[in-house]
Amino acid sequence: MQQQLAQLVAAATQEASAVATRAELEAFKARVVGPNGSLTQVMKGMATLSKEERPVVGKLINEAKKSVEELLAALLVKVENAEIAAALGASVDPTLPSPDAPAGSLHPLSRTRERILASFRKLGFVVADGPEVETEWHCFDALNTPADHPARDMQDTLYMPKAFRSADAPRKADEAILLRTHTSSVQVRTMLSRKPPFRIVAPGRCFRRDAVDATHSANFHQVEGLWIDRNVTLADLRGVLDFFVKETFGADAEIRLRPSFFPFTEPSFEMDLRSPNLGRLSNRWLEIMGCGLVDPKVLELCGLDPNEWSGLAFGLGLERIAMLVHGIDDIRHFYNNDTRFLRQFA
Amino acid sequence: MKVSFQALSRHLDLAGVTAERVAEVLPMLGLEVESVTTFGLAPLPLVVVGEIKSFEKHPKADRLSVCQVDVGDGAIRQIVCGAKNFKAGDRVPVALPGTVMPSGFAISISKLRDVDSAGMMCSSEELGLGKGEDGLLILTPRQPALGTPLNALFGAPDTVLEISVTPNRGDCLGIRGVARDLAAALGLTLKPLSVKTAAGFAAAPSAADAVKFVRSSSEFCPYYMLRTLKNVKVAPSPEWLRRDLEAAGLRPINNVVDITNWVLLELGQPLHAFDAKKVSEGIEARPAREGEEIVLLDGKKVKLETGVCVIADAQRPLVVAGVMGGVDSGVTDSTTEVLLEAAWFRPGEIRRVARRIGVSTDSSHRFARDVDPAGVELASRLATDLLIELAGAQVVGPAVVVGKPPRADVTIELPAGYVAAKLGTPIADVDVNAAFARLGFTVKPSATGFSVLVPSFRSDVTRPIDLVEEFIRIHGTDKVPAGRPIAPLPGDEDALTSVFTREVSARLVGAGFTECCHYSLRDAAELERTLGADKAALVAMDNPLTAEQTHLRASLVPGLAGALALNLSVHADPHGLFEVGTVFRPQADGTVREFISVAFAIVAEPVTRSWKSREAFDALRAKRLLQDAAALAGVASVRLSFAAANGGLWQADHAAALVDRGRAAEGACGVLDLRWTRSLGLKSSVIAGEVCFPRSAFAEARKIPRFEAFSSFPPVTKDVAVIVPVDIAAAEVESRVRQGASKAAGKEFALESVNCFDVFTGPGLPKGHRSLAFEIRWRHAARTLTDEETNQALGVVIATLEKGAGWTVRR
Repeated sequence: MQQQLAQLVAAATQEASAVATRAELEAFKARVVGPNGSLTQVMKGMATLSKEERPVVGKLINEAKKSVEELLAALLVKVENAEIAAALGASVDPTLPSPDAPAGSLHPLSRTRERILASFRKLGFVVADGPEVETEWHCFDALNTPADHPARDMQDTLYMPKAFRSADAPRKADEAILLRTHTSSVQVRTMLSRKPPFRIVAPGRCFRRDAVDATHSANFHQVEGLWIDRNVTLADLRGVLDFFVKETFGADAEIRLRPSFFPFTEPSFEMDLRSPNLGRLSNRWLEIMGCGLVDPKVLELCGLDPNEWSGLAFGLGLERIAMLVHGIDDIRHFYNNDTRFLRQFA
Repeated sequence: MKVSFQALSRHLDLAGVTAERVAEVLPMLGLEVESVTTFGLAPLPLVVVGEIKSFEKHPKADRLSVCQVDVGDGAIRQIVCGAKNFKAGDRVPVALPGTVMPSGFAISISKLRDVDSAGMMCSSEELGLGKGEDGLLILTPRQPALGTPLNALFGAPDTVLEISVTPNRGDCLGIRGVARDLAAALGLTLKPLSVKTAAGFAAAPSAADAVKFVRSSSEFCPYYMLRTLKNVKVAPSPEWLRRDLEAAGLRPINNVVDITNWVLLELGQPLHAFDAKKVSEGIEARPAREGEEIVLLDGKKVKLETGVCVIADAQRPLVVAGVMGGVDSGVTDSTTEVLLEAAWFRPGEIRRVARRIGVSTDSSHRFARDVDPAGVELASRLATDLLIELAGAQVVGPAVVVGKPPRADVTIELPAGYVAAKLGTPIADVDVNAAFARLGFTVKPSATGFSVLVPSFRSDVTRPIDLVEEFIRIHGTDKVPAGRPIAPLPGDEDALTSVFTREVSARLVGAGFTECCHYSLRDAAELERTLGADKAALVAMDNPLTAEQTHLRASLVPGLAGALALNLSVHADPHGLFEVGTVFRPQADGTVREFISVAFAIVAEPVTRSWKSREAFDALRAKRLLQDAAALAGVASVRLSFAAANGGLWQADHAAALVDRGRAAEGACGVLDLRWTRSLGLKSSVIAGEVCFPRSAFAEARKIPRFEAFSSFPPVTKDVAVIVPVDIAAAEVESRVRQGASKAAGKEFALESVNCFDVFTGPGLPKGHRSLAFEIRWRHAARTLTDEETNQALGVVIATLEKGAGWTVRR
């Protein structure tokens, strides 16, 4: 009996080496452990044995059965491996480069804009917008800019012909239609359409009749802010700008407010920035934005009672900030769209 | 405006105050300092007077001379020199070895073309004295002693501050105005101005005057003053006067003209001097008459616009008032009688006229910024003092004045505590008032606070808020602390355009596209291609600066196509490019509407070779991106339909136009016109897409989605294939399938989806036909659908489809 079992296991082991597919495995399994399988036949023979022989033979059979089961398990792994290899094909060399294009990237002006907006959002400013082609009233008159102010000159501002009609900025009377020179027109539209208090930031494209060079561009971008509330003060202005500058240029950046003049703010200031982290522009005062308290005349023109409401406003050039933050030396890079430039900010 | 340190010192005692300190203080007063330069001879102890004893030509260089120079120390030095303007015996500045010139160049003993040279003889420019005569600065006429340090011959150097004056501060276009601000900031006292000529005036000329009448009939000249000065000796101005003018960047001319310019610089009040002999009868400020012309001092002949204010004699205009004098009535070397004009002209008109005739003068610049009416007489008297002193002039009587000062000092009622309230920090009123006093304002208590009397030289200060600015300028902005951050206002949200821009950019960046930014202003050819010639004319600007930037853009696609070409030309693989921005499109009603546009472009064939190929980007992937972009703008895909695009930027048969039933989106996608992109230098075809939304599409807040329950029972799927003529759009067939499938479902169960999974043309189909196969999925909310139900439903679909002419369902 012992010999018979040994032969059986040896025969099965030899036969197993030829098994390659799941069908062969199933057939092999039937031949050994199926209802008429060789091992099953031996086990059936147990019934004819004496009481004394049974434990001895039983032990032998169990050993043989264990060997066969191990053999089947190994065969199953072998067959499954073959199946997986067939399904997946050749192996992958993970050191090969991916043939797919990398993710794209945002334009540095967009990045800078989002970064600036994010810092003002923390202070409760929300984004507002308005048309790029504006009426002269929204761009100048409502902002207390005198009729003969140089900014209105045909030399400095781009105008649309008299026949031009904008669907987004209809004329109030017969004033000129122009390409907005600042996003302050959005401030005007907001004051006219919303009830204070509010805090807005208006990012957007502006235009000047400038020849293109390293620091000038026919179109450029601004981010302007406006806060209208009761009792808005110079201390509030300083607080807001100080926060923005530290967010954008780091905690060791400092600001100063230098008195200046704009028709729409009184008092008016240029805000200068000084930071130790600006490359060759480090540690010196750099003019980066105009700001001030909203002139009472502007509030009045925009339908707000200056005895009740007050406000602060500020405006900065996006290109200028992006150039400072990234150390870019020529404004034309922003508009050339050479991907060797664009991808540097991904 | 150039202001020298010495000029400021005439008006206030600057002992112990350096020029550097002044340059730090002025910007914080609102007077931006653009540059600080040295005027005059910097300290150069080793530059001394020398005499050229003899010279001969350099043996090896035709242009050089070898000079023997004596600087009075007993030795003769040999110096090689390139100048030509000297002779033996001339005295010239000699920089001895060890000198560092203002340019930074160090002088040493050296050889020039093999000849020893022990120093350098200097030109005016090399010494930092400005551009003088070509060649050496010849000192011979001054007869200086040999060896005298040059600094002993020239006065101490001065510092010149170039100040940028904002338009509201006309008072700082005179040195005294700047000095007044500086005095207020530094707590110094402005020295009184001493004028000898008596005040007082006559209403009409006397017999002694050089004119018979002085009149003003122009609304732009409400105040005019004219004074006769006789026995004037026109000559070059003295050294100090020349120096003052040169420090301010003006060229000395003669004593009379120089005096008027000096007073202009000093007080900011322009003056004009006529040669009385060239004036016929009298002087009148009057509107120009039709057809009048004048030849200006700069030689330019100007046709005068009717009505502009001119200063005329009995016969002709002599001066464009406040702007520039004529060529034939001014003071010359032969002048002996002078008429000195001082006046006040309306600022806006001067600005307008100066711009109109295209000249900006020191005079027009100041009149345009509202000169102090009270300063008119003062300036006239100060200039008279100087004409008497420097040109021997004799005064014949008081000045003749017509009109009166158009404005006076202003009193502002300032409520108590107003300034502190605007600053947001406690400031005592007494400190506020002290600052005003320093600025020359007079403060008196009133019932509600204070009455502040602002002198007429500050026309920009008229309201309480203006006084806040005055205070903070003097007090210092750095003394205002930062206010505490404030809490956001609940419920406020970003404009949806901004949210959309952010989200759609993220979507495209994720899809591998790089964001671009192009100019909004484009050329005519691009707009004609995009819109056609008629519509392109509607977005043309009135006053473009250049021929390349004449129109507003109507599409972002041309910019992107150009960027693809640019990147390929520099061998940078652009992959996909996109842009989000405003475009301008003419509408049916004749208006032009602004759209927020999203566009992308990519070359169809890969630029970079790869070991493994990927399926190329095609028109239908572009379609997917457009649908996604539209969805982010709140325009659901079911609202969009696509039809063949015709012409313009797009290639016929390979591009589609997008139409939104709700008219909140328009656009196109597909292959760009191949002839056009090839003309840009792009070899491969370009796939692009653009979708635009009017601003109104972002007007309403987005709805918050509500949950809808769904069935927990399995769906049933059936396939149907239909053979249709090739010119039938897939969308039409799909719509018919949907129609039948939802009709079949009725109210009992629901159509879940219709999906086109196969398109086939070729063997087995009739010519000119194709087969489209759809998978239809139905589901019941409360149970599993039976075979009978779904087979019946499929029958309805088949029946619906077979109603189409030439449509056959495959079985």
